[in-house]
Amino acid sequence: MTRIPGGLVDRSRTLSFTFDGTRYEGHPGDTLASALMANGVRLVGRSFKYHRPRGIFSAGSEEPNALVTLRSGARAEPNTRATCVELYDGLAATSQNRWPCLDFDALAVNDIASPFLAAGFYYKTFMWPKPFWEKLYEPLIRRAAGLGALGRDPDPDAYDKGFLHCDLLVIGGGAAGLAAALTAGRAGASVILADEDFRLGGRLLMESHLLDDGPAAAWVAAAEADLDTMPNVRILRRTTVFGSYDHGIFGAIERVGDHLPRPETVRQTLWRITARHSILAAGATERHIPFADNDRPGILLGGALRAYVNRWGVTPQARDSDRVAIFTDNDDGHRTAADLVARGVPVLAVIDPRRDARRFGEYQLFSGATVTGSTGRRSLTSIEITRDGRSDVLECAVLGVSGGWNPNVHLASHHRGRPQWSQAHQAFLPPADLPPGMAVAGAAAGHGSPHAALRSGAQTAARLLDCSAALLPHAEDAPLCQLPLWHVPGRGRAWVDFQSDVTVKDIALAHRENMRSVEHLKRWTTLGMATDQGKTANVTALGVMAELTGASVAQTGTTVFRPPYTPVALAALGGGDSGMTFRPTRLTPTHGFAVAHGARLVEAGQWMRAQMFPRAGETHWRDTVDREVMAVRAGVGLCDVTTLGKIDVQGADAGAFLDRIYCNAMASLRVGKVRYGLMLREDGFAYDDGTCARLADTHYVVTTTTANAGLVYSRMEFARQCLWPDLDVQLISTTDAWAQIAVAGPKSRALLERVVDGFDMSNAAVPFMSCAALTVCGGVRARLFRISFSGELAYEIAVPARYGNALMARLADLGQDLGVTPYGTEALSVLRIEKGHAAAAELNGQTTAQMVGMGRMVSTRKDSIGAVMSRRKGLVSDTRRLVGLRAIDPAARIPAGAHLFAQGAARVTATDQGWVTSACWSPHLKTPIALGFLADGAERMGETIVAANPLEGDEVTLTVTSPHFIDPEGDRLRG
Amino acid sequence: MADPTLAATPRLIPLCALGGEIPRQTSFGALTLIERPDVALASLAPRGGMATPAPFGLTLPQPGRCASAGDMTALWSGPGQWMIAADGQADTDFAAAVQAQAPGASVTDQTDGWVWIDIASAARGAPLDRLLEKLVNLPPAALQPGRAARTGLHHLGVFVMRQGADRLAVLGMRSAAGSLWHALTQAAQRLETRP
Amino acid sequence: MLIPHPLLGPRDAQEFTYLGDAALLNRPEGGDEAAFHAYTHLRDNPAGPHRELWYHEQGDRSWLVVTRDTATHEIVAAELAMDVKGAAR
Repeated sequence: MTRIPGGLVDRSRTLSFTFDGTRYEGHPGDTLASALMANGVRLVGRSFKYHRPRGIFSAGSEEPNALVTLRSGARAEPNTRATCVELYDGLAATSQNRWPCLDFDALAVNDIASPFLAAGFYYKTFMWPKPFWEKLYEPLIRRAAGLGALGRDPDPDAYDKGFLHCDLLVIGGGAAGLAAALTAGRAGASVILADEDFRLGGRLLMESHLLDDGPAAAWVAAAEADLDTMPNVRILRRTTVFGSYDHGIFGAIERVGDHLPRPETVRQTLWRITARHSILAAGATERHIPFADNDRPGILLGGALRAYVNRWGVTPQARDSDRVAIFTDNDDGHRTAADLVARGVPVLAVIDPRRDARRFGEYQLFSGATVTGSTGRRSLTSIEITRDGRSDVLECAVLGVSGGWNPNVHLASHHRGRPQWSQAHQAFLPPADLPPGMAVAGAAAGHGSPHAALRSGAQTAARLLDCSAALLPHAEDAPLCQLPLWHVPGRGRAWVDFQSDVTVKDIALAHRENMRSVEHLKRWTTLGMATDQGKTANVTALGVMAELTGASVAQTGTTVFRPPYTPVALAALGGGDSGMTFRPTRLTPTHGFAVAHGARLVEAGQWMRAQMFPRAGETHWRDTVDREVMAVRAGVGLCDVTTLGKIDVQGADAGAFLDRIYCNAMASLRVGKVRYGLMLREDGFAYDDGTCARLADTHYVVTTTTANAGLVYSRMEFARQCLWPDLDVQLISTTDAWAQIAVAGPKSRALLERVVDGFDMSNAAVPFMSCAALTVCGGVRARLFRISFSGELAYEIAVPARYGNALMARLADLGQDLGVTPYGTEALSVLRIEKGHAAAAELNGQTTAQMVGMGRMVSTRKDSIGAVMSRRKGLVSDTRRLVGLRAIDPAARIPAGAHLFAQGAARVTATDQGWVTSACWSPHLKTPIALGFLADGAERMGETIVAANPLEGDEVTLTVTSPHFIDPEGDRLRG
Repeated sequence: MADPTLAATPRLIPLCALGGEIPRQTSFGALTLIERPDVALASLAPRGGMATPAPFGLTLPQPGRCASAGDMTALWSGPGQWMIAADGQADTDFAAAVQAQAPGASVTDQTDGWVWIDIASAARGAPLDRLLEKLVNLPPAALQPGRAARTGLHHLGVFVMRQGADRLAVLGMRSAAGSLWHALTQAAQRLETRP
Repeated sequence: MLIPHPLLGPRDAQEFTYLGDAALLNRPEGGDEAAFHAYTHLRDNPAGPHRELWYHEQGDRSWLVVTRDTATHEIVAAELAMDVKGAAR
């Protein structure tokens, strides 16, 4: 055990957890990393490429090494940073990227082969021979790629999303963030304070600073209590603001249930935060200093070492007697040494390359010296120190490395602003072109001392909101002295990016291979491209590269950052939109009837429609469909057609407006009549069709196809608002308001006569293509349309949606002696193919009115959308026409989408003559039939052609016919 | 077999948008959700050159707002268009009644186009505010009492009408009533478990 | 993005659908095919201020003319398309 007194863990309670199956204990307030450290666990993972033993390197979300798989089974989450995992009772974690076990990893042979795995290895190696790619290279790379493996089971946890709005979003709850929130909160602004940690305070919790002569943690607690009393301040703990988007919109993930054995409700919430102002107070991340073999477990960031001692009361020693050394090029490393000494941790030495370095406490100082190597197979046992060409070996188990601090400018450059190099800070500061509304405060802006961070937070909030800054405690304000050492030259491998396994040598090689731009360096070496996005590596690599090129870091430049700041689970980004909430489901008014009658349902966009109504004894879907089709042809069928879009069009100019929407005339339609209408796009192609009924002089109802209901409505609004606002016309959708049922078949009139309230249903009173308002079933308001999609005598009757189900049941009940049959979308489709009516497959956006045989419908006596362009030479000269196609062999199958060829022609594009749009078995004709577009189709009736489906290698011989397979004269529907 | 000559057929039984013969109602903590099939709705759009009507004495509200008088409510639904709602009149020809109040205007029956869900809080406004932030992306000002917003909720177009601090109504398209109910109740249930 | 709706104030762009160049407001009169060809197919694609059409689909169903800098996403104006057409007359 390497617990030491103090820290912010609750030692009165014990939590039990396992790592690689071994049981350990920790306390509330621990992270998995601090708890592993407390148990003397030093080896926690294997590196990505070389499978090198790795230990805990940091104390925060920048962690490159300590990636574990958390939980198991369907809840297993790979690549979880142990440094961010809040310990809970029963936590189970396993190490990754090792086989068979962490202590002995077979793929560690990669380490021996490392000379062959240098920068650009993938690009250089997996080039040829080409056939090797699919069979050899890809499986090889896939197996070796990645660290942990995803579980195969569906994620059992729930996620959700939410939307927050505020005057000020404060990102980060450390010194600067708390001061900003206090300032803004007291000024009455609505404030959201978000911090990724489970405890507010940021670095203040990890330091031994005094604020107003008291421990910093006490001031943090008081500030938190103060904020809690403000109703205008919302604190989001365990919340990472991962992206800064346009106009003050931020993405944030709140880990609602990750610190619990099982989430109470959702596991994570995706917040979309809209903020008038934002303050980025995300602190800073420490750099390390690459030297030979600097990646052994036991070597970690100096600031992290200090954090573990101060916040968690734990050290990375295996035993209390293990000795600790510090390698630093700045004062911060000495602060670590002093804190350790004060807590009774044996500090062997501080190695500082600065010749004028001074001691902060009672420890041995090697000034003007560097660490030039290390030993220790699975964790650190000794380091090599070199001063003035002379080397010594020091036995130690822990080495804290401190190379200065990089402000966390990530979110400030999400709008492509480039961070700017500051010679004074020896670091990149936020870009000048910040996202609008954003300011940066605290260590993220280079104000690293507690005094400077607090003041900068308060003053930034005061400036943004034009209010006075909160009163703040006295705090230390020591300058940070640093002489940057980007790496220790020498033989051996010095790691820069631990997670991607990129060394100084790799950078040098990339440079020799002429990768001069930082963007090229990044991609050639994969530097910064692992899950940590190089938080502890990128700037160091730039420093190394600058040294190699002889340029300054400023001249070398930097890559910019993109969201997310830290990895985000895809399920969380989905915001819970899965299963029932993946998208809305729309049910028809007769859904209950359909289910009760055993309907098989089918998705039609968002709608669930009855596809068919199978009966006992029907063993194949076609048995059902054939029966439903023949019932309509011989008797009467019922089909819910509510899903077709309905748009109410009113106004003094409603007719004139519709004349411009449809290619054919509507103003001339008489009241009480219905007309088929075709809509074109402005480029002259057909895009939707339906019926248009004139209910009154200034009142029409337009119907659209199910799929285009929303699109037609928005385009009609476009025409009304953007093209012809002078026309007096008003639009509103009534799709859901009316349940509409198709009553089709020769006995449809007889059936409807049984439900109408004394309404004359005769052919003279209600002729084909007429409409009327009436009541049914004793006073229920209804609309009757005599229209036919099936080619039979048919009506559509509409009632307020609440009555739809009852009306359907009533019709089914009253029509039993007429053979009434409910039919689904499959039969509907067969009926319309037999009749030769165009539907979505024919009006697919690539066809014209002329092609579907309606060229003469495009009126030349008026302007309408698409009319001019439909007369383009290229469209007019197109000879393809909608034809009927009938299989010569009744046992054949006509594949929809097959292409049409003359008999004997080569099956190539040059001889392609069209395609099959819709195909079915016609129970009426007892043969497969189809609709299709055929070159010169109108002149080829009776010709034998071939439909070829080269994808599946089948062909069928067809006879070209009229598309109207039944009743081409239309006697049935007028009867 | 039914007798086709039967003169007095039984009345058709209407169904609520959520599919039942009686409206759905449920509670989670302080929140109660009630389906309201009794509310009649009609859209009203004055035609060109018309003075803005005042149906049933209602002053048609400004953009983004709603106004109530007795059992009647008017809400702004778009430029030049309002929805007029009347409690307890769903079974009447409400559009005709509105038309009589606004002769010459374009009036359309909307009663069965929508599912109307009332949500009431027994603990003043806070639970409703917490519920709304999980459902709609609107600034708090657009959700104050007297405001009516048309927005997206779980991929559905809805009206959110805040009649009072402790009550609001959500209107969604009738065919998607089940999806809307699921979204509302799931959020309310989670809020009860973890306030 | 936030679209500053002229009647309703800032609303999230997720409530809107995007159509494109506001030149679509200027539909040619008469039957000149060349004019319609230009109207239908030819668009400027500026890196900078751009007048474009947005539809408040999950909202009040109004069509807006939004002036947006395509390089920075800064929005400098949003008007009801009906008003823009009215002013043009």
